[in-house]
Amino acid sequence: MKKTVIAAFAAVTAIGAALLMSGCGQKNEGEYAGQTLHIYNWGEYVGENTISGFEKLTGATVVMDEFDSNEQMYIKVANGDAYDILVPSDYMIERLIKEDLIQPLDKSKITCLDLLADGVKNLPYDPNNDYSVPYFWGTVGIVYDKNKVDEADLEKEGFGIFADEKYKGDIYLYDSERDEFMIALKYLGYSMNTSDEKELNEAYEFLLKCVNTMQPEIVTDEIIDNMAQGRKALGLIYSGDAVYVMNENEDMGYFMPESGTNLWSDGMVIPKNAENPELAYEFINYITEYEAAKDKSEFVGYTSPNKEVMDELSGEGGEFEGIDAYIPRDDNANDEVFEYNDETRKTIAELWSKVKIAASNAG
Amino acid sequence: MKRFSQLAFPYIVWSILLLLLPMIIVFFYSITTGGNGIISFEFTLKNYIKFFTDPDFVIVLWRSVKIAVKTTIICILLAYPVAYFIAGNNDRVRNMLVFAITIPTWINMLVRTYAWIGILTEGGIVSKFLKMLGFAHTELLYTESAVLIGMVYNFLPFMILQIVSSLCKMDRSLLDASSDLGANGVQTFLRVTFPLSLPGVVSGISLVFLPAVSSFFIPKLLGGGQYFLIGNVIENQFITVGEWNFGSAISVIMAILMMLSMYCVRRLESKNSQESD
Repeated sequence: MKKTVIAAFAAVTAIGAALLMSGCGQKNEGEYAGQTLHIYNWGEYVGENTISGFEKLTGATVVMDEFDSNEQMYIKVANGDAYDILVPSDYMIERLIKEDLIQPLDKSKITCLDLLADGVKNLPYDPNNDYSVPYFWGTVGIVYDKNKVDEADLEKEGFGIFADEKYKGDIYLYDSERDEFMIALKYLGYSMNTSDEKELNEAYEFLLKCVNTMQPEIVTDEIIDNMAQGRKALGLIYSGDAVYVMNENEDMGYFMPESGTNLWSDGMVIPKNAENPELAYEFINYITEYEAAKDKSEFVGYTSPNKEVMDELSGEGGEFEGIDAYIPRDDNANDEVFEYNDETRKTIAELWSKVKIAASNAG
Repeated sequence: MKRFSQLAFPYIVWSILLLLLPMIIVFFYSITTGGNGIISFEFTLKNYIKFFTDPDFVIVLWRSVKIAVKTTIICILLAYPVAYFIAGNNDRVRNMLVFAITIPTWINMLVRTYAWIGILTEGGIVSKFLKMLGFAHTELLYTESAVLIGMVYNFLPFMILQIVSSLCKMDRSLLDASSDLGANGVQTFLRVTFPLSLPGVVSGISLVFLPAVSSFFIPKLLGGGQYFLIGNVIENQFITVGEWNFGSAISVIMAILMMLSMYCVRRLESKNSQESD
């Protein structure tokens, strides 16, 4: 779903980008010359030429701010900061729709919907893509070192491997309450969208057991570099990051348990208070079309929603040939998409901070 | 004089807007329910009760205080000799040394803390060096030591500068007087220099202890998500849980604790200086 923004580095790149933009913006005489597009996106989520290409095409200037969690983005947007495009995840799009913060898309201005892969269209958070156009998608799974982890254990235990003492002190957990409760609930055979208190409590107990016995390191995107360098045996990871890890290190594998996982997608939406929706539509079309979509997916490693690009990159001779993490699984009935539920969100956030407190007490 | 005091007016407005008002809002949030909207609310003390009746939070608070105390003590022990040395030089050299101490603080704290990840990580400089010395497998990153190193490193300059400035303010002739009266070097230090430098140490303590106890990004980066301090709890309440009321209550509790601890330190200091008079 994302890669780290090192806030300070982001600031430096932003300044650099701003300087570059002021340099090249003047040269071009596009249709939108002199206008500005404000994007609020995940860190390290665009290709090498995504922004400069769009600026060349339209003559507009792009200002991109970066966030590293949906919640962080939500706070800023809910407090009235104006952007033309946001790139939140599925459940957050649902929340933004419910809270009336984003506008329905004018379908006559969206020319790119036909290019999308079937698996990423019309998902439950936005059944007709009335509000959002997918940006990246993928799954959540276990990244593991083939030399250290017995694949039979993965098959047998699924996400339960995070509580298998054979791998004590050798695992990473991902510091996000949604993802950790997802693995716990899926391991226990429940829906990850449950609001049943008993089931949530069982998941909480599972995670408690995990941090009390396994000495995990609870990290976020540090896991990407650490697994690429083979520092631990296994960890929870987003598919797009697994693609990067596996590209860097041949010993790494990606596993999705039979009991199901999270099928996620991040989509572009236009907030109600957008200042330049016209330009936003241009960008949405631009980035979904072949050239920019390929550049973006190849550079970042996350799965493109553009079917042609996805097939090409994962196919013979493609950048990600043979890396199974690149192709989202679509044949397991246990896989689910996150739904937004404010009550459950609070409960699991609270429980997850208790798990982390327990982890620091255990350590 | 009257004119000059009128000049202070913008500063008063500024202080009210940027200091007083936010504190009032935080306090208001802490004693109400009703989430982030201020329109509908109810007064309550349940946020405070929740904090003190949950042993988990109290343990986290205790751990934060412990690590802040450790940081402060290490900072004093490291900073004092350095400051003493700096203050002993002539003006030109002293200014250069003070300048050298300040240089690292020009770089953003976050960036400097990120640098420590690279230094402490497995296969980083420190672990390679330890390997050369024969320590086979050492985990440094994501331990309490890493957090402690990060905190001492980040806050040490504040302590040094405070002590230097109070040592420089000291009247040098007092040292001559002390030796004229027959005191040796150690006695002079213990009975003249050290007591006179205490104000610097005290303000150094407030500049180190307070940010250390509430720091959240240093433990997050160097201690990992499994190293949870009170600052992380507050951040978590605001950003992920979205319970601004509870987060505010913890902030108010922290503010009160800090004010109390500062009050105690100042009392100690004034008692000390009265005794030495």
